[in-house]
Amino acid sequence: MNTEITMTMESLPRQVDETLDADAARRSRALFNALMIVGAATVVVGAAFGGARFWSALLLVSTFLVGLGLAGGALMAYEYLSGAGWSVAVRRVPEAMTALLYWGGLGILAVLLLRPSLYPWTSPEEHFIGFKGFWLNRPFFLVRAVAYLSIWIGLSRLMVANSRRGDEEGGLGRRRLNTVLSGVYIVTFALTVWLSTVDWIMTLEPHWYSTVFGVYNYAGIMSSGIAVAILLGLWLRRLGPWRGVLRDDHLQDWGKLLLTFCTFWIYIWFSQYMLIWYGNVPEETVYFIRRTSGAWGSLMLLNLALNWVVPFFLLLPRWTKRDGRVLGQIAVVVLAGRWLDLYIMIVPADPSASTVPTLWDAGLTVGAVGVVCWAFWRAMRRAAVAPVGDPYLPESLHYHS
Amino acid sequence: MKKRSRRIFMGLFEREEDVIGATRAARERGWRIVDVYAPYPVHGLPEAAGFARSWVPWACLALGLTGAALITWFQFWASAVTWPINVAGKPWNSLPAFIPVTFEVGVLSAGLGTTAVFLLAFGLLPGKTAVTPHPRVTDDRFALLIEEPDATFSAAAAAELCARFNAVETEEFES
Repeated sequence: MNTEITMTMESLPRQVDETLDADAARRSRALFNALMIVGAATVVVGAAFGGARFWSALLLVSTFLVGLGLAGGALMAYEYLSGAGWSVAVRRVPEAMTALLYWGGLGILAVLLLRPSLYPWTSPEEHFIGFKGFWLNRPFFLVRAVAYLSIWIGLSRLMVANSRRGDEEGGLGRRRLNTVLSGVYIVTFALTVWLSTVDWIMTLEPHWYSTVFGVYNYAGIMSSGIAVAILLGLWLRRLGPWRGVLRDDHLQDWGKLLLTFCTFWIYIWFSQYMLIWYGNVPEETVYFIRRTSGAWGSLMLLNLALNWVVPFFLLLPRWTKRDGRVLGQIAVVVLAGRWLDLYIMIVPADPSASTVPTLWDAGLTVGAVGVVCWAFWRAMRRAAVAPVGDPYLPESLHYHS
Repeated sequence: MKKRSRRIFMGLFEREEDVIGATRAARERGWRIVDVYAPYPVHGLPEAAGFARSWVPWACLALGLTGAALITWFQFWASAVTWPINVAGKPWNSLPAFIPVTFEVGVLSAGLGTTAVFLLAFGLLPGKTAVTPHPRVTDDRFALLIEEPDATFSAAAAAELCARFNAVETEEFES
């Protein structure tokens, strides 16, 4: 039985500040400012004194953040393209997440510009012929990175701006416009996620290749993006503005999506692993031999547990998806899984790297948490707490999942 | 075994809010709700009627796990015990090679098995004819069925309750 309060259109707070628990908000803000200071200090010290491991840590955290921004855009686009009504009340979270594209993109450009030697193909001793020779050269590589980021940021900004403008205009006009943009976004997103992850992560080992690598990262991007949406939504509900807006029914549907994408992740993970294991081609197996021997092997098993085994079995019952406390903890497990997944993709590319995370990883990750909270907070203050002009909003405030 | 016949009170409604309200009110009075009929799934109706959650998902989980376990054992038995064949120099009991089949058979046994369990458990096998308390519950009417356990049940009180929720018709019958 659903005993929570249900928000009506009339009682819906327009601005975040109206129903904000001011003390709790101040404490949160102090906390994420402190986290960002730790991150900024790590960047300054790392850029000056850090070796290759600082830059690989920056690449890890930046791809994580960019992935969250991309997932925000994809969640919006899926809503528009499928004509979904249920997620309208909680759409402001994916919208806010797209702001992370800036900060993640900045980190990636810094790595590509300042530490090209992270990519072995930049070494003058490496010679690639044919298409690989044409694809892997610094100017084209940088142009591509800028192109991916500009496309993502441009399309997401347009969609977010349309959605916010719809708050005053009302009606279906802005929704129709965003549906068209979503179609463009989904197609370019599919192509650019594939190309960018191949560029930024796979070419760390330029002789190894996997054709499913982009899809594999797409799975991780979506599961981590939904996990962050869940946590940000719960945070906003605890602070007040989303009390009665984010319902247990929304949590249940986000939980279902999380379950789906975690399962999709293991499906793709296994597709990649099994084909390489079965084919047994030396230039392909080198990737998994390195990642299954010694301590990396234990991390690999932990990766499977965090990204699929734990969330899958915990998300099967209905009550775990509807209980914010439990669902939030599962989301944290999935985020730890995505972090470890990127860690296993990026760090062992340098055969001399140790399994143990460094202080750079820790500092930058702490900073990234701060950036996510700060960017989210900033975006939430710029618009109404829910898309009040969207004709589907009343449905989303009352639906049962 | 022939089921003992029982007296049923039925209220017929035109709108889903009414049937939800009447169902909740009837349950609050302690009356036993036999069933509620609606032309389409109505949000909040199972909660209002106090129906327990279905046990069918558990059957689905058990069938899926059983199917996956059996096919894993079969693949091991077939390729490592009874007729070992060297494929690409892999060990006979190569678990990664078994996983695609394990997954597919797990899904198949969960899907087909759950359908079978559902049809058997609720007596919906082919040849079953529809039993509806009123022909219009498949079209535009909602029906609330309350059991009349003994003489202390007042049909007048039930009719009065249904009338409060704009019932268009009430009826008593044996089933």
